[in-house]
Amino acid sequence: MRCGRAQEWMAAALDGELSPRRRRALDRHLTTCDVCRADFADTDRVLRSVAALPMEATVPTALEQATMRRVRVAAAEEIERPTRWGWWPLPVAVAAMASVALIAVGLVGRSGNVDTMPTATAPRVAGPVATAVPPAPPKRVARAEGRTPAPVPNEPPPQLANAPDLFMELPILRNMEKLEHFEAIRTTTLDDEPATPGGEEPPSNG
Amino acid sequence: MKTPGESVVPAEAVSADVPASAAADPDVALMLRLQTGDETAFQDLFRKWSPRVLQYTRRFVGSDALAEELTQDVFVQVFRFRNRYRPQSRFATWLFTIATNLSLNELRRPERHLRVDLWEKTDADDRREGPPLPDPHAVTAEQGASTRELARRLEAAVGALPPKQRAALLLSRFDGLAYRDVAEALGCSEGAVKALLFRATQTLKRHLHEFS
Repeated sequence: MRCGRAQEWMAAALDGELSPRRRRALDRHLTTCDVCRADFADTDRVLRSVAALPMEATVPTALEQATMRRVRVAAAEEIERPTRWGWWPLPVAVAAMASVALIAVGLVGRSGNVDTMPTATAPRVAGPVATAVPPAPPKRVARAEGRTPAPVPNEPPPQLANAPDLFMELPILRNMEKLEHFEAIRTTTLDDEPATPGGEEPPSNG
Repeated sequence: MKTPGESVVPAEAVSADVPASAAADPDVALMLRLQTGDETAFQDLFRKWSPRVLQYTRRFVGSDALAEELTQDVFVQVFRFRNRYRPQSRFATWLFTIATNLSLNELRRPERHLRVDLWEKTDADDRREGPPLPDPHAVTAEQGASTRELARRLEAAVGALPPKQRAALLLSRFDGLAYRDVAEALGCSEGAVKALLFRATQTLKRHLHEFS
């Protein structure tokens, strides 16, 4: 055995992690090599010294208290925000997911048929009627069947773009202060609605 | 969470899903109780293992304050991921895997370069600690001082090891963690653990030779 290999095995031998065959080979080498025998003693000394170092530290009371506090917060968060499927029994959750998958597959299959519907460039029915009456736009067909959502516009409608304070004129916002008190809600009418039939001001609760 | 002592997993329930060797491990039983929501089980685990985790992380990051933060993080993760624990592996292995990963993450943080090294002895340390106390196990005062100095140098040498070598060395000394458990905690093979320990002991031997 080479000395280098013997040195590699020393720590494992001292920890009892060397196979019996290798341990015997190492022992044979140590009986014949003074240098490795001294090195083996050094390794033993080092490992014993490390093992003699204190393995436990004194845990401050504040550390335990802080940890328990964080754990209780974590536990409270788990109760407040359970996982999406956490409250479903597993078989029900699996069945629900399978149903969703089947519906999705079905929709994809049907949407494949939509693609084959006649378009403006390739009408299914040829002839004078087909040329006289243009087919409906695909978007309208899809919306009527409820298969695809209406496209989201990239820009706001010009009406909204030109009047950014449009929402501020909503009666609910104008009357927000009146909503603070239940009594006021009961007795007050919104600005846009007619006041009391006689035109009198509602009674104040303040 | 349940009130203390409300739920204790019966022995037959434990043995139903857990290997016999693991069922005998009191920490496994505590983890199973924790999984059922018993807060006292967590407290028992904390009180048993936090001194070792604190010392381990302290040696890893070289800072008392950071080690306390890491110890908190370790046990909060034990709680958060309690349902992922499987009794097939020892609780200590699982615990120190978490501690090692968090410590390694801490060492990778760039602001680590600004820290004050705990292992570097400063004049302030001497002033704070005062004159060295006599070692009751030492035959003479000189021997006691020498033993303490050896321990301090050894701590410094361990703290200066590359993180993975340090982890392998500390884990293999902790609670008799087998190389297989160390490999699991470090995410490497047993052969790699042997190599890490070989390099670590070679470095420490050099340091001790310089001292002697």
